[in-house]
Amino acid sequence: MSALLEIENLTKSFGGVHAVRSCTFSVPEGQVTGLIGPNGAGKSTVVDLVSGFGQPDSGSVTFAGQPLAGKRPDVISRLGLIRTFQTPREWRNLTVMDNVLLARRRFASESLWRSLTRARRIRREEEADRAAVRDILERFQLAELRNELAVRLSGGQKRLLEFARIAAAEARLIILDEPMGGVNPVLGARIGEAVRQFAAEGRAVVVVEHNLPFIENTCHQVVVMDLGEVIAQGPFSGLRDNPRVVDAYLGMDQSHE
Amino acid sequence: MYWVSVITEAGIFAILALGLDVIWGWGGDFDLAFYGYLALGSYLTFVLTIGKPTPPVQYILGFHLPVLLSILLAVVVVVGLAAVIGAIALRNLRDIYFAVTTLGAVSALYLLVENYTPLFDGYNGVYGLINPGQTALNLTYNGYRIVFLGVVLVLLVLAYLLVQRLSRSPFGRMLRAVREDERAAAAYGRPVFGAKYRAYLFGAALAGLTGGLFAIFISAFNPSAWTPQELLVIYAAILVGGRGNPRGVILGVFVVYIGFIELTRYLPSPASRPDFAPAARQILIGLMIILMLRFRPEGLFRERPGLDRGPVPPAPAAAPASQRAAALPGLTSEERARREGDASKAARRRAGKTERVGKTE
Repeated sequence: MSALLEIENLTKSFGGVHAVRSCTFSVPEGQVTGLIGPNGAGKSTVVDLVSGFGQPDSGSVTFAGQPLAGKRPDVISRLGLIRTFQTPREWRNLTVMDNVLLARRRFASESLWRSLTRARRIRREEEADRAAVRDILERFQLAELRNELAVRLSGGQKRLLEFARIAAAEARLIILDEPMGGVNPVLGARIGEAVRQFAAEGRAVVVVEHNLPFIENTCHQVVVMDLGEVIAQGPFSGLRDNPRVVDAYLGMDQSHE
Repeated sequence: MYWVSVITEAGIFAILALGLDVIWGWGGDFDLAFYGYLALGSYLTFVLTIGKPTPPVQYILGFHLPVLLSILLAVVVVVGLAAVIGAIALRNLRDIYFAVTTLGAVSALYLLVENYTPLFDGYNGVYGLINPGQTALNLTYNGYRIVFLGVVLVLLVLAYLLVQRLSRSPFGRMLRAVREDERAAAAYGRPVFGAKYRAYLFGAALAGLTGGLFAIFISAFNPSAWTPQELLVIYAAILVGGRGNPRGVILGVFVVYIGFIELTRYLPSPASRPDFAPAARQILIGLMIILMLRFRPEGLFRERPGLDRGPVPPAPAAAPASQRAAALPGLTSEERARREGDASKAARRRAGKTERVGKTE
């Protein structure tokens, strides 16, 4: 069990606000790491800094041995890191099929020149991907909606589409920003199952989430942030005895969460 | 011969619109510099083909190249200018900021050409490109114009096939993903600037080509031929025909140019107000845009995504709403009801009005 992602002394300020201060933690492969903390703790900022959607003031992020400093989001993504956003960001006026097909990330066939000169060959090569995507859609119960525009899906189906895209991407590290937002219990169970399966396939998964039962059932380890700092790290069961965590986030009685 | 000229012009503008649709329809960038690329392509075709200027006329180059080579060189230079403007405007600017930046660029080009006479003879412009190759081809004047129409239509078909192929390709799909959501596209490894930039250069190349054709078509070119309003008519045509659908774009150009600009010439003007018909034409075009946006915002032909016709799954994609909701097992009854509501909403939407829900630019 080695750490795929190493975050060291990461710091970021927006004007006078210290969003993230000397944040240090690591994410191992094959496990689900929960990232929790009150609103404004800096969780989403950490996700942005790791995935290249923001640049840290100082500190380092190392992914599979490679420093990510100064790299663009698309370059980081190509190294094998996929992140989501708090709200599902489907490509609205593309079909469900195209949404997931794009997540297969066949970058070579997307060159303008190859698209013009090798159209037939590319289409042939794409058949294997289409078949794989159909299987994935089946798994997330979107198969019969595959020719619908993504904009026509319901909120829950958009969540499923997000997971279908992640499954199609076959990333080494998956960062989910609040995957349970606005999700009913049944769908939540399915999402938890998908997250556990990603980890079982050997991928590293980071989940930013406020739904504590979900964190408890899904995460192997939890990183707790408050005011931009990491205040605790370890298995979820140990957190209830940690007075700093209870004070900052869990509160006196966590069943209200 | 009047109709030969009208169809030739519409054909040239259809090629131009295909190029603009790649940038705006697929890429989502409202480019206002685009007509400048046609103008530059036109000017360059002139000064590379018509030979040395005779004073007091003055312009640069003044070569005597074969017209096809001139057009080719013009395309290269136009793409070069687009590479500079695109590199600045596409990097971080979007929506209105991008539009204003490109408007600034084309305005600067316009003022430069109009006021710096050694370039393209300022407001007088360049002229004298009359049916290049007519004697070599042994054609009459009218015969040449008919052959030229044929050439334009062949080029239009070629441009259509090229753009249609690109539209269905992984490049077209990726570019549309960038249009729909840049951040998600970047999160899935797409270089947003790179994608938009390549589309921009491709579109500009088509604009350069149409500039060359336009030069042969009108045989004289000056700043009054490329006022910014011309571009808005092209945008209107794309909007009417169907943004993002190459076939629709071509149809839109023919509808707007022939249906509105040419046919309205036959509107009667009272003798006391000879300016009535031209004014009525502008009003009609404006009215058409408003009506299209209100009743059919996706255009005559909507953008058509490639459909997957694979073997799995057995159930048809167009299953009735209730069936589709039932196909999601394990849902609570409220959830199922909500889904059903969503599905029927979607069906209503499909039935008619709004294609691009919410996001337009």
